[in-house]
Amino acid sequence: MAASMCSRGLGPWVLSRSHALPCAWRALHVSAACAKNRAARVRVGKGDKPVTYEEAHAPHHIAHRKGWLSLHTGLLLGSALWFPLRYGNLDGQDHAAERTVEDVFLRKFVLGTFPGCLADQLVLKRRANQVEVCALVLRQLPAHKLYFLVGYSEALLSHFYKCPVRMHLQTVPSKVVYKYI
Amino acid sequence: MAAAASARCLGVRCRLPLPLTSRRASPLGRARSCRFYSGSATLPKGEGADVTGIEVVIPKRKTWDKVAVLQALASTVNRDTTAAPYAFQDDPYLIPTSSVESRSFLLAKKSGENAAKFIINLHPKYFQKDIAEPHIPCLMPECFEPQIEDISEAALQERIKLKKVKASVDMFDQLLQAGTTVSLETTNSLLDLLCYYGDQEPPADYHFQQSEKSEELEEASEENTEKPKKKAGQQLGATWRAKNNAERIFALMPEKNAHSYYTMIRGMVKHRAPVQALNLYTELLNNRLHADVYTFNSLIEATAMMNEKYEEKWNNMLELLKQMAMQKVKPNLQTFNTILKCLRRFYAFGKLPALQTLREMKALGIEPSLATYHYIIQLFYQHESPSKGSSLVIYDIMNELMGKKFSPQDPDDDMFFQSAMRVCSSLKDLELAYQVHGLLNTGDNWKFIGPSHRRNFYYSKFFSLLCLMEQIDITLKWYKDLIPSVFFPHSQALIDLLRALDVANRLEVIPQIWKDSKEYGHTFRSNLKEEILMLMARDQHPPELQVAFADCAADIKSTYESQDARQTAPDWPAGSLNCIAVLFLRAGRAQEAWKMLGLFKKHNKIPRNELLNEFMDNAKASNSPAQAIEIVRLASAFSLPVCEGLAQRVMTDFAISQEQKEALGHLTASASDSDSDSSSDSDGDINEGK
Repeated sequence: MAASMCSRGLGPWVLSRSHALPCAWRALHVSAACAKNRAARVRVGKGDKPVTYEEAHAPHHIAHRKGWLSLHTGLLLGSALWFPLRYGNLDGQDHAAERTVEDVFLRKFVLGTFPGCLADQLVLKRRANQVEVCALVLRQLPAHKLYFLVGYSEALLSHFYKCPVRMHLQTVPSKVVYKYI
Repeated sequence: MAAAASARCLGVRCRLPLPLTSRRASPLGRARSCRFYSGSATLPKGEGADVTGIEVVIPKRKTWDKVAVLQALASTVNRDTTAAPYAFQDDPYLIPTSSVESRSFLLAKKSGENAAKFIINLHPKYFQKDIAEPHIPCLMPECFEPQIEDISEAALQERIKLKKVKASVDMFDQLLQAGTTVSLETTNSLLDLLCYYGDQEPPADYHFQQSEKSEELEEASEENTEKPKKKAGQQLGATWRAKNNAERIFALMPEKNAHSYYTMIRGMVKHRAPVQALNLYTELLNNRLHADVYTFNSLIEATAMMNEKYEEKWNNMLELLKQMAMQKVKPNLQTFNTILKCLRRFYAFGKLPALQTLREMKALGIEPSLATYHYIIQLFYQHESPSKGSSLVIYDIMNELMGKKFSPQDPDDDMFFQSAMRVCSSLKDLELAYQVHGLLNTGDNWKFIGPSHRRNFYYSKFFSLLCLMEQIDITLKWYKDLIPSVFFPHSQALIDLLRALDVANRLEVIPQIWKDSKEYGHTFRSNLKEEILMLMARDQHPPELQVAFADCAADIKSTYESQDARQTAPDWPAGSLNCIAVLFLRAGRAQEAWKMLGLFKKHNKIPRNELLNEFMDNAKASNSPAQAIEIVRLASAFSLPVCEGLAQRVMTDFAISQEQKEALGHLTASASDSDSDSSSDSDGDINEGK
C-alpha cells in the first residue's frame, strides 16, 4: 500500500529541454516510507509481548502457514459473469480493488462497533452475493448486548452494500496467545 | 401397425430390444433417456392383441420452482436435535439456556436492527448508492416525511400514504376551506385511514406493542376466553368517540358511495361502537345500497357486542345472514369464523349453533381453516372438567384433519395446536396427542405453532402427557429429541419426568437429568432438587449406583452452599439435609456424612429417626463407640424421643468403657428430663449403674 508520490513539477520542464533523454529525473517522496520488509510484522521484543498466531507469522507465510483474512474471487478473470447482481459491468476486471476498499471499511466499522471486544482480525468471506463477517470476540459484553450489536451491524451493512451481510461470532475468554516475542 | 412403427422408432432411439409387453406401457417421453425401462405396473398386461388403438400420452412438461433443487435437498435433512435454533449464534456463550434468555436475545437482535434502520433513515444520503442489480427496494432508506408542501389533493394523498392521520385531516380541512372539492376516492381513502386507526396516530413502535399485548393476554389465561376478550377490548385501539373526525368528514361529504359506508361501519365495529354501526347500516339500506361481505362480517361482530341475551343475539345474527342472502352477497371463510368467534362467548348455548354453522359451511363448500376448529374446541372444552362428560368432538375433528395441509387464512390459525394439545392433556389421551403432533409435522403446518410462549405451552403439555402415559424408553427418546432444541422445560416438566422414571424403576438416569437441569437454568430450583434427592435416597441401591448418587448429592450440596453465600439467611430444607446425609453414608463417604450431621444444628433442622438409625448402623460397622455416643449426644441435643432407643442400642451393641457409660447415662438423663414416663426408670438404672 506504499505509494510514493512523485512531484512532477520539474519533469516536463526537464524533458522539454532534452527530448532524447529517457525518464531519469529525481523523484520527491512526500509520504511516509513504508518498507515492504516491515509490513504486517510484529517486531521482536524482550519476550513479554504476546502475539496471536495470525500476528506471529509474516506475510510471506501466507498460503504456507496461514490463510487469507479476506476471501473473494475478484482476481479471477470473468468472475463478475456469475454474479451480475453486485457488479455493474460484466467484464470481470479490477474488482479486487473495490473488494479491498470494502474490506477496509468493514474492518474499521466492526472494530468500532465492538469496542475492545475483538480478539483477532476479522475474516471476510464472500459467497455468491453475500458477505460473511467472521469475528473472534472476547466475552466482555453480556450476550444480549452482543446480539444487539450483531443485529445492528448486519442491518446497517446490508443497507450500505445492498447485499446480505451476515455476522458469525465465536467467543473466547481472552486473546489466544500463540507465543511471546 | 402404429405400434410396430412406434416400436421401431422406440427401438431406434433406445438401441435396445424391447419386449412386446412393455411397448404399450411407457410414454414416448421416457424413451428419450436411452434407458431400459420396464412397463408401468398400473396398465393391465392382459390386453394382448389390442396394440392398434393405443394412445400415446405425452405428459405435460413439468415446470420447476426456482428453488426446487434446494427444497429437494432440504427435505433430505432432518432437524438437528443437538443444535440451537439457527437464529442464534453458534457459540456456547451465545446460545440461550432458558426460554427467557432466548426471547431476550431475539429481542436484542431485533432492537439492533431497528436501531440500524433509525440511523439509516436519519442519514439517507449515505445509503443512496445503488449497486444492486436488480434493484432491491427493501435495502434503500425510507422517507417518512411528506415531500409535497403545497395545499393540493396530491399532497393529501401523499400524507394518507405515509399514514399521517393528523396531517391528512388538517390538509383536508385546508382544502375544503380553500374551496377545492376533494375527489370521492381520496375522501374514501382518508376515511379508510381514519377508521382503521380510530382517529389516532399509528403508534411509533406499532408491531412491538401489538405482539407484547397479545402475549400478555395468552400468558394471563389460556383456558378462560372471557377475560382476554375484555382485556383486548381495553388495550387494542381506541374507543370510537362520538363526533370524531371520521364522522365529521363523513357528514361533510357531498356524495357518499357504498365504500364510504363500508369503511365507517367497519371502523365503528373495530373501535367498539356497535350501536352506531347498526344505525349506519340501516341508513345504508335506506339509501338502497348493498353491503359487501366484509361489512356483513363486521355487522355480525356488532350484533354480538350488544348487551342482549344469547338467544336474541343469535336471532339477530340469523337475521343478518338472511339479509345477506337476500342481497346476494356470498359469505366467505371470515363470515363463519366471526360467527364462531362470537358464539364462543355464549357458553353452553353456543354449541348447537356452532355445529349448525359448521354444517352450513360445508354445504357452501367453504373449507374450514384451523381457526374454525380452534373456536369449536374452545366452545366445547371451555372448562376443564372431564367429570362432566366431555364431548367427543375432538376425535371427529382430528379424524377430519388427518393428513391435511393448511395455508394461513385467519389470524387465529396459530391458536389451534395449543388448544388441541390442551384438550389432549386434559383428556389424558396419548394417541390423540400423537395425532395432533403428526398433523403439526405434515407439510408446512409447523408454521402454525405460533410464537415462542405458545410453542413452549404446546410442548410442555405434550411432554407431560408423554411422561404420564408413555413407556419410559420412548419418553427418554422424546426427551433427547425435544429438549433443549425445541423448548426449555419447566421444573414441573422435569419433576414429571423424574416421577415417570420412578414408576419405571430407572433411577440410574437421575444424575444425568440433574446435569441437564443445571444447563436449563434450574440450578437453584429447590422443589426440583428436593424431588431428586428424595428419589435417590429412598431405597438402597447397588454400590456403583450409590457412588453416582453420592456424587450427584455432593453437587446439589454445593449449589445449596453457593446459594447460602448469596443470601444472608441460610435456608436448607430439612428433607434435603436428610437425603444428602443418607446418600453420603451409603456410598461410604462417612466423613462428609458426619459433616452433614453438624449442619443440622446450624440450620435448625431436625434429623429423622431413620437417619440416626442408619448412622448407628454405620458406627457399628466401623466399630467405633465414640461415634455412637456422638449420635446419642446429637439426639439428646435435639431432645428426640428416639434418644432412649439409641442409648439402649449403644449399651447393648457396643463395648463401651465406664466413662462412656456414665456419659451416656448423663445424656439419657438430660434427654429424659422432659419425658415424664420413663424418667423414673432410667433414673433408677443410672443410680444403680453408678
